[in-house]
Amino acid sequence: MRWLSKKKYKIGLMIPTLLVYSIFIILPIIIAVRYSFTKYSGIGQASFIGFKNYMRLFQDKIFWISLKNTMIMFVMAFVLLLTLSFLIALLLNKRLKAVDFSKALIFSPAIIAPIIVGIIWVYILDPNIGIINSILDVIGADGLKHKWIGGDTLSPYSIAVIYFWQQLGYLVTIFIAGLKMIPGDVLEAVKIDGASAVQEIRYVIIPMMRTTISTVAVLIITGVFKIFEIVQQTTGGGPNHLSETLVTYSYSMTFSSGDYGYGMSLATITFLLSLLITAVYSTLTKEREGSYGK
Amino acid sequence: MKNRNLKRLLSAVMIGAMTLSLITGCSGGGSKEAATDESGATVIKFGIHVANPAEQESVTNNIVEAFNKANEGKYKVEFEAADTETHSKNMKLKAEDGTLPQIFWIEGSEASEYSEAGVLLDLTDFLDENADIGTALGGMEAAFKDDNGQFGLPYQCNVQGIFYNKKIFDDAKVAYPTDETTYEDFLEMVKKLKDSGVTPLAIGSKNSAYAMWEFNEFLARYGWEENIGNILDGKDKFNNKELSACFEKLKGLKDANAFPENMATIEYFDAKQLFNEGKAAMFGTGQWDCAEFDKNIGDQIGFWWGPRFTDTQSSQDVVMKVPSAPIGVSASVADDEKLKEGVYEFLKFYYGEEAAKISYEGSIFPATNYEGAAASDSQYSMNVMIEALANGWASPQAAPDLTVSSAVQEALYDGIFGVLQGTYQPAEALDKLDAALANSK
Repeated sequence: MRWLSKKKYKIGLMIPTLLVYSIFIILPIIIAVRYSFTKYSGIGQASFIGFKNYMRLFQDKIFWISLKNTMIMFVMAFVLLLTLSFLIALLLNKRLKAVDFSKALIFSPAIIAPIIVGIIWVYILDPNIGIINSILDVIGADGLKHKWIGGDTLSPYSIAVIYFWQQLGYLVTIFIAGLKMIPGDVLEAVKIDGASAVQEIRYVIIPMMRTTISTVAVLIITGVFKIFEIVQQTTGGGPNHLSETLVTYSYSMTFSSGDYGYGMSLATITFLLSLLITAVYSTLTKEREGSYGK
Repeated sequence: MKNRNLKRLLSAVMIGAMTLSLITGCSGGGSKEAATDESGATVIKFGIHVANPAEQESVTNNIVEAFNKANEGKYKVEFEAADTETHSKNMKLKAEDGTLPQIFWIEGSEASEYSEAGVLLDLTDFLDENADIGTALGGMEAAFKDDNGQFGLPYQCNVQGIFYNKKIFDDAKVAYPTDETTYEDFLEMVKKLKDSGVTPLAIGSKNSAYAMWEFNEFLARYGWEENIGNILDGKDKFNNKELSACFEKLKGLKDANAFPENMATIEYFDAKQLFNEGKAAMFGTGQWDCAEFDKNIGDQIGFWWGPRFTDTQSSQDVVMKVPSAPIGVSASVADDEKLKEGVYEFLKFYYGEEAAKISYEGSIFPATNYEGAAASDSQYSMNVMIEALANGWASPQAAPDLTVSSAVQEALYDGIFGVLQGTYQPAEALDKLDAALANSK
């Protein structure tokens, strides 16, 4: 098979993948960006209007609300998921009783379709029929009852919690796989040297898992910018767009309002934003990796 | 060496084949020729806005089945079914690549856009050839006519208003609403019903902002039909005296706690469930829910057009018997005479007397009017609507929410629900409508 390793063959073999990638990823992005400079209802001809959609975007109150909501979800999901999934992975990596059962239990939400996740959580969070408010009612803690979803303020936080619940098991599994890659003799040596558990994590495990942590971080960043079904199922972006994320607002403008051009400008901004955050994160972690090396 | 060359050749062929299959897979591949089924019948595709026509649009399904039976071996209508949102998306995409089904349901606010894009067949000649259908439609078709001609025909006739449960009213010792009931009476009614422990008016906004049919009557009674032309032409604003007063009334209902507390997290279907289960006294909808109410509420059902308003000069003697969203015919049908003939045959059947009877049997008002087609005694909900229609009041040519473009329509829904939920003040909601109109120009 040596002949396959020649550069020209490698390129040849990559062509189908590149084609698929170009047709289904790159081309739609280019088309979306192109439409973002047009006025288009989805039927007939699109007319070029320059940067008008982008100018409108910055004056659109709902755009800022959806950006704020996305950022709330991002910060909450990033902090909670990154830290807790790592800590749970550390715990599940130990030889404890019922560890396999716990792993299965934690992973189970990840195999439920997001739309079903949304339905489940409606029955937990709904202000009228939700379990939380019913329990608060029963125990006489009326003062703690809130509109967890469907109100003016709490929806993005609740959606972040749902996303956290759904993603936790998946990310824990990635971390456990990363932990398994750390050579056992290194950890043994650390213990012989008398390092505490915190020192072991701080000076050995985290540095050795930098690649896994980066992967998980990128997954969280890109994942948060794709939260769609949970919002649709729990609040539908309402009331009055107050719980929209960038992606649901883009969908709403594109398909409900038939404002394809404006919807695509929102999609473009979402794309650029997730790209920017990923780039910033990658740069920061690379710098840190550099400083570790010095 | 030979073996090597063979491998190279094989790889190249495989890559080429994969590439080609990808490219061909992406192409429309649509044929302009009329398709036929195994019996040789010309197949006519009907794009419909529900995923399961037999369950969700049983009347249309029954009409199609009756047509297919009557035209066995000659024509066969087949549904292309998808839920409303998916259907609307699909139709736009198909309009772009020229693969629209021959007949399709069009979202009301998008109909004129399809017409302007030139993808719809002008049905003027169909109406000219079938004068009896024109007569039976009685002007219902006028809402779907523009400079490009008769771009659509009403799918059905929508009668919209507020259904109420008489038993709940009796239990709460509240008098049934009548044609003379004013907004102030309505607020009093809401208060008493609320005090009796039921939800006065069931409504859900999640993913169903379109479910605002009872408020079309509010808009109509504040002069929507008279003013909308000026507003769309830029001579007036949505934020005008009449609509401000109208939206203030919506706010009044919100302040009176007329709606479910969780209206933001329930859908139209959940709200209907509240009404069906006797947990809500009233529910705004149209005749499409009649069969369900007959089953769940039976002869305890009542129907009301909504409150009269005393702070406007606009006529209050208004009912809401309007054409529903239209069905259109793809312009490409004109390219195939046989197909066009089949489509026209189907339209003749759809707007004919037999289909009208099927409609009444299924508690749906057809777009047409024929002598003798009527509801039976056990169709309680439809009968209360017919009774309400007997007042002889005028109806607008089209439901207010169907007279504007999708973007403005969405802003209208958003504004109404914003006020109902307290997230917008009336003036703010109307300003948003003006902004949506400005952006859509």
